[in-house]
Amino acid sequence: MGSLATAFKDAYLNGSGPELAAVLTPIAPAEDRNRLRSFYQFSNAEYISKDLSYALFHGKSLKLPKAEQNAWVDIFVVYWEAIGEILQCEDRLPGASVVTVFNAWKKVANTLIRGYSGSAGIPAWTLPCLYTVGKYLRTFAINADLEAASQGSAGFGFQDDIAADVEKNANLEEAARVINRMFTLCLSDRAPLEESRKWGIYNMTNLLFKTYFKINSVGLTKNLLRAIKASSGDLPPPESFPKSHIVTFEYYVGVIHFLDENYTEAEEHLTWAWKSCHRDATKNRELILTYLIPCHLVTTHTLPSKKLLAPFPRLEKLFRPLSNCIRKGDLVGFDQAMSAGEEEFVKRRIYLPLERGRDIALRNLFRKVFLAGGFDEPKEGQSPVRRTRVHVNEFAAALRVGTSTSGRSRIDIDEVECLLSNLIYKGLMKGYIARDRGIIVLSKGGSAFPGTGV
Amino acid sequence: MSNTNTQKADATEQPPSQAKPQVLEEDDEFEDFPVEGIDQPLKCFPRATKLILQQPDWPQEEAEQTAGSTANGGSEHLWEESWDDDDAAEDFSKQLQEELKKVEASA
Repeated sequence: MGSLATAFKDAYLNGSGPELAAVLTPIAPAEDRNRLRSFYQFSNAEYISKDLSYALFHGKSLKLPKAEQNAWVDIFVVYWEAIGEILQCEDRLPGASVVTVFNAWKKVANTLIRGYSGSAGIPAWTLPCLYTVGKYLRTFAINADLEAASQGSAGFGFQDDIAADVEKNANLEEAARVINRMFTLCLSDRAPLEESRKWGIYNMTNLLFKTYFKINSVGLTKNLLRAIKASSGDLPPPESFPKSHIVTFEYYVGVIHFLDENYTEAEEHLTWAWKSCHRDATKNRELILTYLIPCHLVTTHTLPSKKLLAPFPRLEKLFRPLSNCIRKGDLVGFDQAMSAGEEEFVKRRIYLPLERGRDIALRNLFRKVFLAGGFDEPKEGQSPVRRTRVHVNEFAAALRVGTSTSGRSRIDIDEVECLLSNLIYKGLMKGYIARDRGIIVLSKGGSAFPGTGV
Repeated sequence: MSNTNTQKADATEQPPSQAKPQVLEEDDEFEDFPVEGIDQPLKCFPRATKLILQQPDWPQEEAEQTAGSTANGGSEHLWEESWDDDDAAEDFSKQLQEELKKVEASA
């Protein structure tokens, strides 16, 4: 008990939220491996409440209002119970269960919420506690769902698939409801800004985002964004929040837009997150790029450079073959790269925008046809002008370049015209099809393929 | 029959290994930034007397950006145009001519 009580007092006297949150974790600190065990063994269910008030608040060092003291004692009583369940699991005692741990930790979360919302009025600087407790609630819920699933399948053999699906995330959904109350607790605080729980809003939102993503309810994130928007007038501006909160928030908002196929907005949020993310946070930077690269492909038709991907071998492997094929206008290679990466692309939910890269590859191929067409006879005294009348057969031939002779299908001219008109419609090519003569008349003056210099 | 037995044996032998809090591998999730922030000016919470490590935060210099460049200048090297002019244009031209002959022959 001693070390935990001392850590609590020190954190409170220092007024350090993170230090206080570190006291309320379900994991013993590296320098004090035995902390949880000795804390649990120091008392028993009958005396824990009395023992706690003595250990935390006896003496002259820490003076808190009675209500606030009681709130903390209540919190640590249920924390003590939760630690008991966790130790049972660690010792692999019969009857130990993660579901029980989750339920015990849920009591910690609810008691903490009451401590903030009730008359006790735990001050807002201790907010990191709320985040930490919420974070582990989510972790325990995920593990509890895994445990329930493994027991279900081992114990009963076949299960009704539909029922299993509903039950699959039962604990995590329960966790989401509790974390949602934490979210409201932060957003609806009416205290003056200097002492407001509003400073915790983005952190709690991020935790809820992660939870909703995990239970496949991305739609629910919209409610949070609406609620934040509605009270944006009362919130401190985003730039006054710690970057860690806002970078994470912007990342998720970017991904939410991304999944809605709003690539322009997604790019905006992801670019911000990318530029502000700490440079040593490799994993997070990699995640931002995973979505930012497909955005760039769709919105500005640009590809990641070697330099950009150098620190991320996994991304280099994921995107390089595709990028090379797009640049070269290699459609066969593009299709191969898409099917080779399909599983990973689908898992990361980036298949759809990447598929749009095929248009860019096709544009590049047809652009090469245009360049290979050379120049018309220059008129006297004038600089040469590119040949802008290109026979449809030339485009058809380009589609056959690089395909193996055996087993390739004959290319239908109608199909080529269809590809051409699609590119023209999408603004990737400028010109029209003169069908009766079988030629494509391209725009003159360096605008046949807009944005590519020719 | 033997199948069910094995399953049961598995179930009892299976240790509650998932019990440890950190067991979860969240490989596709945005991570918490380490709490190694900088000393921040006091933006909030006057009752917090010593606000070291209030939250992980960092100055813009420590953020992702090409060193010494402005936001836009830095990003130029990171994103490339999707088209490429100097990639064996001659080769392509020859291949194209060959295929063109075949297309015209078959038409």
